[in-house]
Amino acid sequence: MASLSEEVLLVVKKVRQKKQDGTLYLMAERIAWGPEGKDRFTVSHLYADIRCQKISPDGKAKVQLQLVLHTGENITFHFANESTAVKDRDAAKELLQQLLPKFKKKANKELEEKNRMLQEDPVLFQLYKDLVVSQVISAEEFWANRLGGVNNTDQALYNNNKQEVGISGAFLADIRPQTDGCNGLRYNLTADIIESIFRTYPAVKQKYCENVPHNLTEKEFWTRFFQSHYFHRDRLNTGTQDIFSECAKQDEKGLKSMVIQGVKNPLLNLLALDDNTLDEGYGVCSPQPSTSVANRTVKESSNSAIIKRFNHHSAMVLAAGSRKGETLNDQGSETSSTDGNSRDSDCFHPPVKKAKLQEATEYDDLQGENRPKTVPLNLKKSDRYAHGPVPLQSHQYTTSQDIINSVNYIHHEMSNYKPNLTQVMSSTAASSAIAALSPGGILMQGGAPQAIHQMIPTDIQGELKHLYVAAGELLRHYWSCFPVNTPFLEEKLTGHLEEMLQAAYNKFHAWQTRRMMRKT
Amino acid sequence: MASDTDVSLLVIVVDVNPIWWGQQAHREPEFTLAKCLDAVMVLGNSHLAMTRSNKLAVIASHCQDSYFLYPTKKSADNGGDESSSGDGKYELLSATNNQMAEEIREILSKTEVRGNSTDTLLAASLAKALCYIHRVSKELEVGQEMKSRILVIKAAEDCALQYMNFMNGIFAAQKQNILIDACVLASDSGLLQQACDITGGLYLKLPQKVALAQYLLWVFLADSEQRSQLVLPPTAHVDYRAACFCHRNLIEIGYVCSVCLSIFCTFSPICTTCETAFKIQLRQMVKPKKKKLKQQM
Repeated sequence: MASLSEEVLLVVKKVRQKKQDGTLYLMAERIAWGPEGKDRFTVSHLYADIRCQKISPDGKAKVQLQLVLHTGENITFHFANESTAVKDRDAAKELLQQLLPKFKKKANKELEEKNRMLQEDPVLFQLYKDLVVSQVISAEEFWANRLGGVNNTDQALYNNNKQEVGISGAFLADIRPQTDGCNGLRYNLTADIIESIFRTYPAVKQKYCENVPHNLTEKEFWTRFFQSHYFHRDRLNTGTQDIFSECAKQDEKGLKSMVIQGVKNPLLNLLALDDNTLDEGYGVCSPQPSTSVANRTVKESSNSAIIKRFNHHSAMVLAAGSRKGETLNDQGSETSSTDGNSRDSDCFHPPVKKAKLQEATEYDDLQGENRPKTVPLNLKKSDRYAHGPVPLQSHQYTTSQDIINSVNYIHHEMSNYKPNLTQVMSSTAASSAIAALSPGGILMQGGAPQAIHQMIPTDIQGELKHLYVAAGELLRHYWSCFPVNTPFLEEKLTGHLEEMLQAAYNKFHAWQTRRMMRKT
Repeated sequence: MASDTDVSLLVIVVDVNPIWWGQQAHREPEFTLAKCLDAVMVLGNSHLAMTRSNKLAVIASHCQDSYFLYPTKKSADNGGDESSSGDGKYELLSATNNQMAEEIREILSKTEVRGNSTDTLLAASLAKALCYIHRVSKELEVGQEMKSRILVIKAAEDCALQYMNFMNGIFAAQKQNILIDACVLASDSGLLQQACDITGGLYLKLPQKVALAQYLLWVFLADSEQRSQLVLPPTAHVDYRAACFCHRNLIEIGYVCSVCLSIFCTFSPICTTCETAFKIQLRQMVKPKKKKLKQQM
């Protein structure tokens, strides 16, 4: 209880609680009070459990601080130090004011999560009502398995439900300056565009944080941004007094590091791509080395500058999208995260790489066939198949005389056959057939097996379903105790679970008798 | 609701075993083969009269062969060359009846006496019915759907030798969603009970043979969709127990060879049908045998 390994933020002596003198300790995660002279804390509450704090009004003689917990309990601390009571109390109050909001979110989050789960899933809600409200299982056990998922996976799922919005690649172009009438330009900046600029160019964000609001106003900052050559198409790194010239240098550095890193995908060879056309010499002449700076024309160099800027811009947009809103506290990681290669390098760890290579080089259709080996069928007594698994039936034999007689009779009868459809049967025969086929007749005695769901009213069905689901939940708890490794599980099995099962059985029995009584 | 052009095909397989019917004539003179055929015609006419797009086929199942009573090759050739009946009946119905009568007369007049085959070739007729259904389904127009069912009117007893073929036919019908209904006149047939159960059709053993037409119209005229709206005789429990190959006794728990799937009631280290040796050690072999015996007892 008195774990002094916790960080103690504030100690207030001479605080009375329940008419006892003692010391109040405010730690990193909880508030605790121990009586004078003793080493233990008798009162200890996590900040997460505290709903709010109250202080006694200033005019009162007693200087008090009251904590209201989520459970409704109130705990009052009386600051009894004559000289510094008010100061102590205020210091404690301010510290609590700072700490409580931090922990409040966590507690609320859990409750919120629970509420959300109960609201979204009606089956879960019904289960909760059946088991926890009627006190078959404690609420803790109910949420034990379910919230474990909340903290790890569901949280991630919940976050993933709201997708991150990416950055449009054309956000700079969307700004679209309008002429102001008299030789000025008007740039419309929305919050979205500003956010895009900050996410894509962290250097600009850093400049913004540095300069605004200390040196420049926001408007001035953006005016300078648009005026600077950094923004414009033709960048002339002339080393002016621009705050953005540093950004330009950093961009160059980033681009160079990207190029040096290269592409990690072994199946892709960027250097083999070339922009050659067979215009002169039809492939016979060797291509001019166009990358050497000396041979460049002015036009080529400005084109290459623009292309470089486009490439850099695209890389920054992609990198910003994959960074997923990290705070850019570390400047050092800026350049390393500007390449889109980082994900690729993850993809090429040895087993994945092997699988990819195999996929690219092997064709399934051309492999040899691997059919499982079968045993050939070799029947010795195949006549058994003729009659199959049918029991022996007493065969009625007809004498050959019978056969001859029958056939002759049929010959005779059917040689003059004419259908007489007006006298197929007599009305008595028909009405007796109808009687046999009507409900209650001879043929209908089987009792058409009525589907059970038609015989039982829906409310009873519903209640039975709830009981069934609740029983399933209890069984889940039971089976989760196996294999019995710890004495805790053993104790849970023999003591606790038996009680639960007994309570559930009693509940079911009560329901059954209630239903039977209603019927009779 | 089915559209107007959906085809519903009814194939009636009538058992015309002359030996059984000849004996029947002595047993019960008021219900003869002629009466039976009349009742079948009534059902066929009713089926054709229900909807214009309904189709009918009738197969007579004899002990030597199975014949189509309707439609026959002659009808396809002649077209509408029949003499119309004078009573103003719907021409299709009168043509159908005349064809059927003519065919059956011809078939039965050609029957010869043969001693070795006295069983009705029901499996063969079933196969013919399935093939006919398949052929008609290929001749449908684009967009037409066809629902078919087979009604078997059985007179004579089951023939055990047709078991394999019969079961193959049943499973083929099941795969094609073809219902097999059965109307049994005399003795219960386990094969037909299984057929009806597997394909979802109705099995009926008539308490009264003279009222055959009434039973046919009441129970077997409606097709599968309409049957759910009617109150019809309930399906009886089907005995699916198999008989062991060694003693032909019905058993509930047995041993099955994994190679040839023959069923035995007791364990033996070699299957007698396919001579596969089972590699189970002797001790283990004894234990399950004892257990099984205890269970059966």
